[in-house]
Amino acid sequence: MNMLRQIVIVSSLGLRTLRQRLWQSLVIVVGVACVTGVLLFMLSMAEGMHQAALNYGDPRSVIVVSRGMIFENPSAIPRDQARIILNVPGIARAQDGSPLSDASVSTFVPTELRRNNAQGFIILRTFGKEGQALRPTFHLVSGRMFRPGTHELIAGVKAPFQFKGMALGDKVILPDGEWPIVGTFATGDLLDAQLVGDTETVMQSIRHNTYNTVTARLASPSAFAAFRRALTTNPILAVDVMRLPDWNALGSAGISDFFHLAIYGISVILAIGALFGCFNTMYAAVESRSNEIATLRALGYGGLAIAVSVLLEAAMLSVAGGLIGASIAWALCDGEQTGFGSDVFTLIVSPAMIGTTILWAIAVALLGGLLPSIQAARWTVSDALRAR
Amino acid sequence: MKYFPLVWAALRRKPIRTLVTFLSVTAAFTLFGLMIGLNDTLHQLEARAPANRIWTVGRFGDRAMPIAAAHRIARLPGIKKVSVMSYLNGYVGDPKNVAGALMADDVYGDIFTDQLTPEGWESIRRDHTTVTMSRQQAEHFHLKVGDIYKVIAPQSVRADGTNVWELKVGHISEDVPQVPNGMVAGSYDYYDRSLPLAKQGTIAEADSIVDDPANAAALSKQIDRLFANSAHPTQTTPEKTLYAVNNFFGGMNVGALTHGIALIGLLMILFLIGNVIAQSVRERRAEFAALKTIGFSDAKLIALVAIEAALPCIAGALCGVLTAAALSEQLPKVMPRTFGIPPPVMSPAVYMLALASAFLLALASAALPALRLRRQDIAAVLSGRA
Repeated sequence: MNMLRQIVIVSSLGLRTLRQRLWQSLVIVVGVACVTGVLLFMLSMAEGMHQAALNYGDPRSVIVVSRGMIFENPSAIPRDQARIILNVPGIARAQDGSPLSDASVSTFVPTELRRNNAQGFIILRTFGKEGQALRPTFHLVSGRMFRPGTHELIAGVKAPFQFKGMALGDKVILPDGEWPIVGTFATGDLLDAQLVGDTETVMQSIRHNTYNTVTARLASPSAFAAFRRALTTNPILAVDVMRLPDWNALGSAGISDFFHLAIYGISVILAIGALFGCFNTMYAAVESRSNEIATLRALGYGGLAIAVSVLLEAAMLSVAGGLIGASIAWALCDGEQTGFGSDVFTLIVSPAMIGTTILWAIAVALLGGLLPSIQAARWTVSDALRAR
Repeated sequence: MKYFPLVWAALRRKPIRTLVTFLSVTAAFTLFGLMIGLNDTLHQLEARAPANRIWTVGRFGDRAMPIAAAHRIARLPGIKKVSVMSYLNGYVGDPKNVAGALMADDVYGDIFTDQLTPEGWESIRRDHTTVTMSRQQAEHFHLKVGDIYKVIAPQSVRADGTNVWELKVGHISEDVPQVPNGMVAGSYDYYDRSLPLAKQGTIAEADSIVDDPANAAALSKQIDRLFANSAHPTQTTPEKTLYAVNNFFGGMNVGALTHGIALIGLLMILFLIGNVIAQSVRERRAEFAALKTIGFSDAKLIALVAIEAALPCIAGALCGVLTAAALSEQLPKVMPRTFGIPPPVMSPAVYMLALASAFLLALASAALPALRLRRQDIAAVLSGRA
């Protein structure tokens, strides 16, 4: 008899008796649902954070920082050097003909987290003349823009989600007293949970005499190499030049490696538990079907067909569990806004991630069902009848 | 106890099933141990933070304060002792190989007795050009006593114009839980003297001991008010607040997160054990009927089933937490050194909680099968009619 036909027949026979083993089978379903649910929940966090970090700012931008820096805060660019960088050839032009480049500072302002009053730090970033133009998605949502030279700030629309006292009309304590939030804005990226003020006014107030970074948009993407060469070979400057997406990836690399290790570590431990559950269930299933299997063998069905049918049953239950876990994680997490430290971002459960977890489910089923399926395949007629 | 052989025989009847049950319980409790252990460790850190220590740093970013600020803090009534320090931030070899040292004055070691051993602090005081390293850091940089720790610090240019700091390792001390990623400490005096004259006299942190812990919060506010309108506003925080549990994972609710994951693991094996016990009882209905016939009470039978469920649970729980302890010892090797989260330590409380959970798990999973057992008709079972 055709092998495939055998497998189909034996499997459908097994599935028809599944109802008698409903509760046992739930062990696999629940176990795998737990694994995929937890895995996806944690991945949604890591992926959300990672995507938010990668998609921060305009991808056409380039960033200039002090040489060797992988974070912007320790980077320091003196005013005289910034002037050179701001005017390097190759930078796109604003409408008034000035170069589309902006030197700015960022600093952490101590505050409290809304969620549990833990100590938090909101990022205060500054815009110079071209700061807004370098962020095409920037738009005011309420209130008005800060006026350069006055002690005013604007806050991202998501800042109040993570921090206390960061809504329109609230006052932020900075060295020169209380700065009112006169407007709120949105850009659609991490800036939405930050404060923005005027570069020179803020620098004067927090007594910074150096910029942290210079951001620029190039006239064309191909100008990058020349732009970088102009800056890195200038003996007065000691800077690194990067495309913004590369810079974003650099900063988020170290932490996300560890996050992934923690996520997969936890999931592997859970999966091992689910795997043993699968083993137990399939072992019991093979035992309880011993009569049926013996009869099938006596009728001439091959051991392999029986083994495959056992694995198929395990995989089916496991994938069902995986889909349940994934649906729960998707319903609870996908698109949810959450905050971590100074960042506010949305959790992501993508089809690709669900696909990965379904592969996990299949792996659990195959590994857990392997020994029971071999056991079933080796079952001879006399063994099975004796087991009765 | 005298019925132990009965339970043992039941467990040995299907050795593979018992073994696999035990292993899955072990896996669930490994996770339980890691999660609850982490939560517990963070709470201990918070509890261990001395209530009389407050930290003063520049309020905005990594701003340095003038050392005069520390002198002003020291003059405030209620402040017992003040020490100052700066950070040497840089890298060894490659910019990604982050390295540095905490450069502390001679008082610092008297205030932070919990960060390094007294010998460690003493070694720095004896020779201001040396650093003391915790074992973890020394292993990371492959250094031993007498070696040179060569840090390239772009933000700390020396008086001679270079940014290379060659510091001799004077002492290596054991790691302490309060400093999860280990530390390197040197002398503030040496650091400050090595800077160009114009850069000298600034500090990154002024740390104080207050007379009365009850005043820690009020004094912190007072210090910040003192400098509010100066060129160097400060941010002063009692150490207890700094080490609050929810400050660790970016303000996430650590308790809910760790307990949630641990509970999901338990939920998963609850189903598994419940099924195993149900199956085992179903297969041995005749045996239980026979026991009933010779005078075993319902309560006794239920106890037998509960113990049969409890044994693999409790053994698995113990093994799981032990595995978690072994795993977390390996954690520092894979954790980014700048992460600042301590590897979980399994305290007796974690073991107790694991055992209690295992016991509850066994009771919960044995409940249904045991009840069914109570209702069963002996005559029917023994005559093969049920």
